[in-house]
Amino acid sequence: MADTGSKTDIRNSLTKPAGWLSLVTFAVLSLACVAGFSSRLFAVIRFESIIHEFDPWFNYRATHHMVATNFYDFLNWFDERAWYPLGRIVGGTVYPGLMVTSGSIHYVLSLLNIPVHIRDICVFLAPMFSGLTALATYFFTKELWTPGAGLFAACFIAIVPGYISRSVAGSYDNEGIAIFALMFTYYLWIKAVKTGAIFWGALTALSYFYMVSAWGGYVFIINLIPLHVFVLLLMGRFSRRIYVAYNTFYILGTILSMQVPFVGFQPLKTSEHMAAAGVFALLHAYAFLQYVQGVLTKSEFRYFFLFAIVAAAGLVFLAVVGLTWAGVVAPWSGRFYSLWDTGYAKIHIPIIASVSEHQPTTWVSFFFDLHILICVFPAGVWFCIKNINDERVFIVLYAVSAVYFAGVMVRLMLTLTPCVCVLAAIAFSKTFEIYLKDDTTKSNVEEEKQEKNSQYYDKVQPGKKQRIREDRPKDAEGIGMNIKSIIIICLLMMLMLFAVHCTWVTSNAYSSPSIVLASYGNDGTRNILDDFREAYYWLRQNTDDKARVMSWWDYGYQIAGMGNRTTLVDNNTWNNSHIAMVGKAMSSNETAAYDIMRLLDVNYVLVIFGGVIGYSGDDINKFLWMVRIAEGEHPRDIKESDYFTPQGEFRVDSSGSKTLLNCLMYKLSYYRFGELQLDFRTPPGYDRTRGVEIGNKNIKLTHLEEAYTTEHWLVRIYRVKDLSNRIEATFSDTKAKKPKVKYSRKTSKKKRGSLKHKPKVVPGKKPTKKTKTKSKKN
Amino acid sequence: MHALHFALIVLSTLLSSYHGALQDKIEDGLVNSKVTRTVDLTNHLPKVTSQITLENTGKNSVRSFVFAVDPYLKDKLSFIGAQTKDGDEDSPLTVAETTVSTLKYMGKIFYRIDLPSQLAAGKSIDVTVETIYSHGLKAYPSHIKQSEKQFVQFSSNLYHYSPYKTTTQTTIVNCASSSIESYTKKKPVSTSDSTITYGPFETREPFQDDEMVVHFENNQPFLAVTEMTRLIEVSHWGNVAVEETIDIRHTGAILKGSFSRYDYQRSNDGVSSVKSFKTVLPASAKDVYYRDEIGNISTSNLREDDDAVEIDLRPRFPLFGGWKTHYVLGYNVPSYEYLFNQGDRFALKMRFVDHVFDDQVVDKLTVKVILPEGAKNIKVVAPFAVKEEPSQLEYTYLDTIGRPVIVLTKTNLVEQHVKDFEIHYTFQKMLLLQEPLLVVGAFYLLFTLVIIYVRLDFSITKDEASESKMRVAGLIEQVQASHDKRSALYQTYDDSINKFKSSKDSSTFVANRKKIDADYKKLTQQIGDMLTKLKAEGSDAADKVAELQKLDNLFKDQVNTAITYAEKLIQGKLAKQQYVDFESTTQTKKEDIYQKMEAVMATL
Repeated sequence: MADTGSKTDIRNSLTKPAGWLSLVTFAVLSLACVAGFSSRLFAVIRFESIIHEFDPWFNYRATHHMVATNFYDFLNWFDERAWYPLGRIVGGTVYPGLMVTSGSIHYVLSLLNIPVHIRDICVFLAPMFSGLTALATYFFTKELWTPGAGLFAACFIAIVPGYISRSVAGSYDNEGIAIFALMFTYYLWIKAVKTGAIFWGALTALSYFYMVSAWGGYVFIINLIPLHVFVLLLMGRFSRRIYVAYNTFYILGTILSMQVPFVGFQPLKTSEHMAAAGVFALLHAYAFLQYVQGVLTKSEFRYFFLFAIVAAAGLVFLAVVGLTWAGVVAPWSGRFYSLWDTGYAKIHIPIIASVSEHQPTTWVSFFFDLHILICVFPAGVWFCIKNINDERVFIVLYAVSAVYFAGVMVRLMLTLTPCVCVLAAIAFSKTFEIYLKDDTTKSNVEEEKQEKNSQYYDKVQPGKKQRIREDRPKDAEGIGMNIKSIIIICLLMMLMLFAVHCTWVTSNAYSSPSIVLASYGNDGTRNILDDFREAYYWLRQNTDDKARVMSWWDYGYQIAGMGNRTTLVDNNTWNNSHIAMVGKAMSSNETAAYDIMRLLDVNYVLVIFGGVIGYSGDDINKFLWMVRIAEGEHPRDIKESDYFTPQGEFRVDSSGSKTLLNCLMYKLSYYRFGELQLDFRTPPGYDRTRGVEIGNKNIKLTHLEEAYTTEHWLVRIYRVKDLSNRIEATFSDTKAKKPKVKYSRKTSKKKRGSLKHKPKVVPGKKPTKKTKTKSKKN
Repeated sequence: MHALHFALIVLSTLLSSYHGALQDKIEDGLVNSKVTRTVDLTNHLPKVTSQITLENTGKNSVRSFVFAVDPYLKDKLSFIGAQTKDGDEDSPLTVAETTVSTLKYMGKIFYRIDLPSQLAAGKSIDVTVETIYSHGLKAYPSHIKQSEKQFVQFSSNLYHYSPYKTTTQTTIVNCASSSIESYTKKKPVSTSDSTITYGPFETREPFQDDEMVVHFENNQPFLAVTEMTRLIEVSHWGNVAVEETIDIRHTGAILKGSFSRYDYQRSNDGVSSVKSFKTVLPASAKDVYYRDEIGNISTSNLREDDDAVEIDLRPRFPLFGGWKTHYVLGYNVPSYEYLFNQGDRFALKMRFVDHVFDDQVVDKLTVKVILPEGAKNIKVVAPFAVKEEPSQLEYTYLDTIGRPVIVLTKTNLVEQHVKDFEIHYTFQKMLLLQEPLLVVGAFYLLFTLVIIYVRLDFSITKDEASESKMRVAGLIEQVQASHDKRSALYQTYDDSINKFKSSKDSSTFVANRKKIDADYKKLTQQIGDMLTKLKAEGSDAADKVAELQKLDNLFKDQVNTAITYAEKLIQGKLAKQQYVDFESTTQTKKEDIYQKMEAVMATL
């Protein structure tokens, strides 16, 4: 009896592999989440828990504002500290999903009396969501292929650099949560297509709503899903399931997306959303035709069909064109055009082209961001096409469109990454399935194999063996054991290299907060260059609360976030002419710039100057964009060609153009730099970033004075002086006036208070005007 | 030290009881027979030390005397202390604010200093009174350029300001540097290097008032903490967390014009600016952090000495005149050094204000002490007058009723105020277990809920397919169990046959067989029932179970044959050799069938 008893135990454990299976699945998924979370913490460990870069600073500031007040105050927030003097209606111009997400986490935690600072929630939000993305990708891939492929995909997406680049700890940006929302929406959509249930369709719409509230990239979803439906129609795969799924999704999704203030009526009014509406109409037309087909005879139907198709297509097209022409539907936006024509932005919207992440992708960065996956994923596409079904059509379409967009714009690499992970996972899974299917291989990857063939789960070991032997006598005997092992080992090596590459890229390329720089000495000691925060904190503490700071728009969010001061332009580049105004001030000479600064009530001017430490992302290197943007709006005052040498070079040394050497940006960057000798091998005023000795060393400022310069000269802040009490004579005045110059010079202290040569001020006439006209003459 | 401590406690209680509580009258008989005043102006805190020889020329002995605060500095007084020589040692005296009821003394500030013993008529005593004035130096000029040096002006009374007659007195002014721009030239006066000596002056009447102004160079750091919040969080798990939020300001001459980094780096000007300062923390301080609203301030150095932790704080930017900054400095100290208890009664003894920088001045200080949840009967004992604000409640990790927060404020503190204060309270130690139990309870509840959720079916519709699948799985499991029992019975058959063969006891065998047959029938019947159920579910397994039953039938036949042969053998109807042959054939058949049954079972 004892014998039989133990037999039963073994059998029970063997007949229930589901327990083991879920354990392995759970373990792999949780490890993927943990790996995804912890590999994003390089920056926190090396530096500190801090918000990175530019846009995250705005998101953090907005979140902080929401937490400090409440949600409705946030929606109604008019930020008078940005875009001076225009201000910015923040509630209506942001995707609030990110702020609401971290705000509600903070709210729940504070309900539980867990005192976590909102900054820490913001910093760790993206890594947390990357764990959720891994789960969503697992479910998505599981629906498309097998749970085994799902596990692969989850592991890939957890560590792939293409996604990490936008979701490291501290990178508190929309993309961090949007990729989760994207994958989850796609999973629910696939589920809806598979089941044809309203339940899943409604869930898709809800998830889509979250995506709309989080990121402008939702347009990708609202075009890809209709495309999927459209292609299914073309392939003759129309079914009730698709009809139900799409209608539920489209109707609910559109209504929900219109609840986001920033989106508003766009889903009905802009061309970006018209494809979805068109497919909605088409689907109904098709369903109607199918119904009619059941009623009419074949020959009747043929005529009717032709007529109906032509009429419907013509009607839809005319409607869209008509509405666009009438102005009800807005035409494609410039950003959208630049997706089709890569040269478009450079000519028409320099402000978009000036952002490095809007540049076309180099092929190197595909490999850099995706490594082995980019090589393997076409195989995945092939496998999907070979075994096509409704949902695999979707992933193929996703792959094709995402590859195109990723090629156009560097930042859209992000949307390609999940799809590449899924398809590469399918390819790997399929390959392993073929080459591991040998019971004699007792490698440690056997578990992975088990996960992949779900149809064998509930079979006991002996039966399984027999089946395999029966099923695959031809294939299996075709490939020898050794070859199989070699291939397996090669694949495993590649996966291992992939993991190493991911860690390396994450650590070296994507884990710099960019507001704190680190340099390493010869002995390995680390020097932290904290100049940005030094300057911003100086602004925060030692300038008037209402002071207005002019800088190039890149630093707007940081000045507002860290310095808490009013800015003129910032990274929300909604007003091109305002930016052009700042660009014009930066590229004009000091006197002209002073007029602009007086117009804009500027108190301080902030420039980034990397010449001392060799920091390449400084304002002089960005200067040509300022000129171009200014030229776009003020072509009469600013000409790009003036800033080049006759040979067409952009040089800051003595052979550079006169306009450049006397423009405000040049002066502010190099003020007193001509006296600074960095080391004995180089002359004074040697710019390390550009590797030249500067051309204009004798810079005098009349309307501005240096207010603060950070330790490594990285950030320089100038105070805009008030109009002087006395009319200052300019140097180019006629000889007869020269004595005046001597006495009215501000620097001659001893003469202060003397009433001799008192300027004649006519009552009612502003003395400033005189100065102005004079300076214009110059 | 203890006596001083006591004196300060008395002082504090007296000070807190506002004006009017104390009233003195001026004893006519007292005379300052000799006064030496030393005005220390070497840093930004003017310190006036008056050595007074007090003589009682009256008839009555006196217990105390009255000290009047210099009228030029009266609203800047930050600290006053008095002591006398008791043999070789200094013994502190009790100082308390008082008023004098005479009308002509209105608007003057008086302190009563208690003497160690009755001063009999004709006797005299030496008393040293130390007064420290915050913000007592005025930058003049008030705005300077980066390259300029900082000059300050100090004005006070030239004479010892006293309600009593002063016979002879000298005033020594120690300046921070030898470059003295100007000083009040009231003879007799002499200067040497950085010291100005006035006097000795002859007899002066009470409240003699004559302004003395000294204008000199002083490039000392004019730092002042404008606002400071000191948060002390007591945990009975062994940790006291201290966090100081500090607003600091350079109160010297304000920087005029531009700040040039080039000049600052190359020619070392900006002499009055502050690049960094040192803060001394307790020796046991660990996990020190130094940050502000926008993150960690990366420019600081920590040095651990035997008796203190010295931290070199460098603000993000050098502080020039008029510039300010803000930071948070926090650390943890073990509670055994600061928390004492007797049963359930606890006492926290910590510094009221700790060292921020040398010659510190704190304009406004708020001390918040967060006591553990459930602390009761809270009593504050402060070394000097402090204002106790209404207490608050603080909720942190796992708190239910909130932790009591004691809020104490005081203005105008200097280094002499670095003193311990005590908070007494009662706390039941069992309450320590409340929070772990809360966590345990929460997890218990969670797991229970999960168990309930998993075990119960909450769906509002029936999913026929999966229900049927589950039923089939259950049935198959039962079939397997029954079949296992049945296979065991086969073995029992064999055993009983063998027994029968050896014992030849026919009756026992028949009885045995009956019993086994009954069991067997029951099991077969059970499997049969399940088979019908499986068929009703329409499962593929039904066929397999049917096959199993068929095989079992065959097996049973073989068993029956084996029994018949055995009976025949016993009855002698069968030869032994013949039986062995039959036996082996049935055995092989049985084994064959058994194998088949096992195979069928495996595929179930």
